[in-house]
Amino acid sequence: MKYWHIILIRAAILALVLGAWELAPRWGLVNPMLLPPLSDVLVTLQIQLARPTVQEAILITALEVIVAFIIAVPIGAAAGVAIAEFPYAGAIFKPMLFYVFSIPKSIFLPMFILIFGIGFQQKVAYAAFTTAFVVLMSATAAVESVKSDYILVARSFGATPLQILRRVYVPSMMPVLLETLRISMIFNFTGVMIAEMYASRTGIGHLISNWGENFQMPQLFAGVIMLSVVAIAFNETVRYLEARCSTWRT
Amino acid sequence: MQYVADLNAAKTTGAAIEIDRVSHVYAGPEGGVPALSNVSMKVGAGRFIVIVGPSGCGKTSLLMMMAGLRDHTEGRIDVHGAPMPKPDPERVGVIFQEASLFPWLTTFDNIEFPLSLRGMSKDERRRKSQPMLQLVGLTGFGERYPHELSGGMKQRVSIARGLVQDPPVLLMDEPFAALDEQTRMTMGHELLRIWETTNKTVVFITHSLTEAVYLADEVYVMSPRPGRMIDHIMVDLPRPRTYEMMATDTFGRMRDRIWQQIRKSH
Repeated sequence: MKYWHIILIRAAILALVLGAWELAPRWGLVNPMLLPPLSDVLVTLQIQLARPTVQEAILITALEVIVAFIIAVPIGAAAGVAIAEFPYAGAIFKPMLFYVFSIPKSIFLPMFILIFGIGFQQKVAYAAFTTAFVVLMSATAAVESVKSDYILVARSFGATPLQILRRVYVPSMMPVLLETLRISMIFNFTGVMIAEMYASRTGIGHLISNWGENFQMPQLFAGVIMLSVVAIAFNETVRYLEARCSTWRT
Repeated sequence: MQYVADLNAAKTTGAAIEIDRVSHVYAGPEGGVPALSNVSMKVGAGRFIVIVGPSGCGKTSLLMMMAGLRDHTEGRIDVHGAPMPKPDPERVGVIFQEASLFPWLTTFDNIEFPLSLRGMSKDERRRKSQPMLQLVGLTGFGERYPHELSGGMKQRVSIARGLVQDPPVLLMDEPFAALDEQTRMTMGHELLRIWETTNKTVVFITHSLTEAVYLADEVYVMSPRPGRMIDHIMVDLPRPRTYEMMATDTFGRMRDRIWQQIRKSH
């Protein structure tokens, strides 16, 4: 099938969904109290974005997401590389990490509240905790994806360990690393949202949770749109980079 | 330039590679596993040597030791008069099996990889890789990526990469094993042409007896693990070799002798 055909069909589906969202509540097919029409939601979104409390919440959530990411990625990556590179450490820690990885992290949230309170620190700590595990697992997989043949070739040409790292490991792992970055951001964002919705005084997650409890559906949907746009934008940016550096992977 | 002197020294003793009573024992979980047992061989400069032997006989290990990529427990390995405690790309070029090109680099960049490790400028690198590309018959494919090349072409790139630093010795570990029969024959023929124009000393490992007799000046036959040298055959077929020679009695007799040795050793 031609590419523009696919684009066309995608656009048609999108228009259909958005059209249904607008018309179904107006025609009384669904309860407008539960699903307000799209145009109402967009107007609410505009109003909400202009409010200082909402702007502050956005800023705080963004900071939490960024700080948690900056903490989690290097820690997870370093631990993951160490486990992959030192078989001894791997043999000891791998099973334990896999066990912990399988536990839903949200059950630890009450402990994080007891230790860090319900402020900025708690959101960052909890999100970093959940994200670090994902990064660790993916980083291990990334290192293990480097073929030992490549390392042998580089060594045979007299490459130093640093050259092997820069010239073989990094380019070889790059597609997996970007993939890791993308997936871990999804977990990171989710971590911040869960922490905010569970107990918080501010942040987008807190606002959405409040709007839901107060049955303010237009505001709730406005929040959902806001978050979705940011998450999709980040995801697609990294995916674009991924596609660009993995042309050789086919 | 240092190696020019070494080369001359090697010529006077007549050996490019000298392996003297080399044994190797691997550390396994259940104690030592003997891999090589008392292997000796002397490779004259400019000779084409083929080593054949059953899977797991340690022939690849032996090659890796000559390349300075692996240690051995006992004995001495000298390449152009000096041991190889670590890889030395100016003395030895190694050509591996098919999968060894870096998929994120173009043909040019793959060939130039050894040069770039030494910080050579891009222009100078290109000046050296261009004739290599021509030598292996890939002019015009410099900007392609490995996934755009056929198996035979990839192996040509790999040979060019092994030759780009002009080492006197080329070690080849079953380089054509992953190729189909026809490509394999063509590549063998090509390799002989390249060898004849460059005067390298080649040590070539293969499973194929036909390939061994077709390519070699001398064939060494190894026993199953722990690997020992069980036969040394001088292939006195004239050069340049032709496909027609494969049908001759002499060719068949030598091929048969290798086969008998391998079969007996099991």
